[in-house]
Amino acid sequence: MPLDVSTVSYALPEGVDPPALLAYLDKRFPVIAEPGASRAYTVLDTADRRLRAAGVDLHLETGRGGHRLVLREPGGRPPLVADVRRPRRNRYLLRDLPAGPLRDRLRAIVEMRALLPLATVRVGAQLVRVLNADDKTVARVSLAFPTALAGGADGGGGAAIPLTPRVDVSGVLGYPKPLGDVTAAVRQGPKGGLVDAGVSLADEAIAAVGGDPQGIRTKVRVDLRPDQRTDRAAVAVLCDLAGIVEANLPGTLADLDTEFLHDLRVAVRRSRSVLRELKGAFRPEPLATQRDALRWVQAVTGPTRDLDVQLLDWDHLVSAIPVERHAALAPVRALLVRHRAAAFRALRRELRGPTYRHAWDDYRTFLAGDLGATGERPDAKKPIVEVAGRRIRKVYGRMLAMGATIDATSPATDLHELRKRGKELRYLLELFGGLWPRLVVKPMVRSLKGLQDVLGVHQDREVQASYLRGLAAELAKTTVEHHEALLALGVLVDRLDAEQHEARDAFAERFAAFAAADQQALVGEVFS
Amino acid sequence: MKVVATYNIKGGVGKTSAAVNLATLAAQDGLRTLLWDLDPQGAASYLFRVRPKVKGGGRKLVRGRSDVTYLLRGTDIEGLDLLPADFSYRHMDLALDAAGKPTRRLRKVIAPLGEFYDLAMLDCPPSISLVSESVFDAADALLVPLIPSTLTVRTFTQLGDFVAGEVDRPPRIVAFFSMVDGRKRLHREVVATLPDTSPDDVVQASIPAATEVELMGVERAPVVVSAPRSRAARAYRALWDEVRPRLGV
Repeated sequence: MPLDVSTVSYALPEGVDPPALLAYLDKRFPVIAEPGASRAYTVLDTADRRLRAAGVDLHLETGRGGHRLVLREPGGRPPLVADVRRPRRNRYLLRDLPAGPLRDRLRAIVEMRALLPLATVRVGAQLVRVLNADDKTVARVSLAFPTALAGGADGGGGAAIPLTPRVDVSGVLGYPKPLGDVTAAVRQGPKGGLVDAGVSLADEAIAAVGGDPQGIRTKVRVDLRPDQRTDRAAVAVLCDLAGIVEANLPGTLADLDTEFLHDLRVAVRRSRSVLRELKGAFRPEPLATQRDALRWVQAVTGPTRDLDVQLLDWDHLVSAIPVERHAALAPVRALLVRHRAAAFRALRRELRGPTYRHAWDDYRTFLAGDLGATGERPDAKKPIVEVAGRRIRKVYGRMLAMGATIDATSPATDLHELRKRGKELRYLLELFGGLWPRLVVKPMVRSLKGLQDVLGVHQDREVQASYLRGLAAELAKTTVEHHEALLALGVLVDRLDAEQHEARDAFAERFAAFAAADQQALVGEVFS
Repeated sequence: MKVVATYNIKGGVGKTSAAVNLATLAAQDGLRTLLWDLDPQGAASYLFRVRPKVKGGGRKLVRGRSDVTYLLRGTDIEGLDLLPADFSYRHMDLALDAAGKPTRRLRKVIAPLGEFYDLAMLDCPPSISLVSESVFDAADALLVPLIPSTLTVRTFTQLGDFVAGEVDRPPRIVAFFSMVDGRKRLHREVVATLPDTSPDDVVQASIPAATEVELMGVERAPVVVSAPRSRAARAYRALWDEVRPRLGV
């Protein structure tokens, strides 16, 4: 589809002022300069910058008419817009937005994440239209003088921080040649020509107000060398994971969206996995204390996450029952929401309390301090490629043994134990897999992921069904109209049971792929 | 994408003026809007300063042998694109007749554009023909300008009967009064009574007979852009505000 029209952004060099550029363009093309205009907007994105990754810009514009979201895609197509209410708690969730194309587009990218204000930008702009012989606009040149408003992401009345002045050249659909001519002229412009702006205006503004244009990371970024000492490699990875925990803590405590807590818990779980799998690199005593501390963090955050999963899955679950009975489930959902609120209050109390503060300070001190003599740490000086490879081989072998004993009569706990081992293996591969050829690690991760997906569904449905069964008694006490709700609840539990059975049915095939002879041979060969 | 066609069997009743101004207002409201100038006279294309030329002509277009996306032109209004007219559209009836399932052809032409636009406005030539029937099939709604007179009302009733009886997927019909001259008693009487007798089909907002509308051909711009505070521009705004919810866009 050739519907895209380009916009090219150039940095306006020092010493080139708007009149000079206008005069330069006027000599070469018929142009009309529009009156100068100024506008302000707030850059919105998820904490992990999913919109940026998708190449999408989302602005919140506020005027006398209220608040309006404007979504622009690459290619200069007309933006999607939607009138919205003032953001509640300084964020928008999808459910806060009106139904329509903008929400549909965002749904595909942001999922359950909140849209947060990352920077407020004010732009004074001069628009110049380039015309053809019929006085028709065939290209647009915009000279923009942006500033970021300091004082936080929402520009709380702080000073204006000047950003790089820009010249944006935009095409008009169906008129590619004039765009090429204007772009070439601007590129060769006054004072030796203009250069591509490079950094986007949003990124520059976010950095100017003290934010990280990359957003919060969920993946570990540590460059490991195969011959690196295991204790140093482990500490480097653990420090990076600790940074991810800390980055997600404020969003978790503010309850901005469910993924702050999710990502915090994943980082903690990965940290526990490193401490367990590479325990030979640490002295037993501080290690046990730190593992206990991280286990405690998982324990105090677990109930909230379990209830988040229940609520995130809610629409999928209720789609199993006829629409006319959805209303009967309202008391069930309300109960889940109440439970979740109570669980979150407990989580916040704990994560704001002295136990967490001291435990985390202690953990950071442990990571930054002297790990002690290597006499008590047999793996400390060994190359990480050797120790991690040994653990990958070992955990893989244990999974093969565990999986081989699972059949249709095995209890759910057997599958859950296998899943836990699978997580260990996955974290080892994700955190240390870069030490081996990608061609080997990637297929292994893929088959492991296939297995973990069914084990995850199996366990999630087990927990969810058990929780909903537990709600039945409480429901009977809290609502007069509970009979209909109980019947509908029964349908939900049946659906969960059915999905758990489906997962179990799929297990054999997934495990067979994971345990295939060629993969076993490869693991033995590569990770030896 | 909602498809709305400005249609009347008669010419000179304000179809193109309505299509051009309402499409502009839709784009200004943030809707990604396409205007298809189906009239071989090419008045809408002229107003937007776009050459009334379609590569391959109407025959290739309705046969699905042109990639319609290559034919689109951006207008001076951001968010509003134009599929221009072509003089060969005068033979579009013949082209449709020669193609299979002629009444479905126009819908097929614009279907691939659904992902790029929220609203497609079709500016139709005056007639009742295969082209009109294909428009009726493609459109979710017909926007019908009426000059206030007894005969106009009769024609409007005939259109309603035809669409309800002959079209498989009948579009919603929304009429408005156009070129209203408040000095004429008949205009005042018809405008005062018809919306009350057909409240579901006829909106209250009406477009006055105004010099600014006639000057669009000189300015080569929609009146809502060239004279946004004029009586005519305000009337188009009121019309758009009233019809938009009925069109579901």
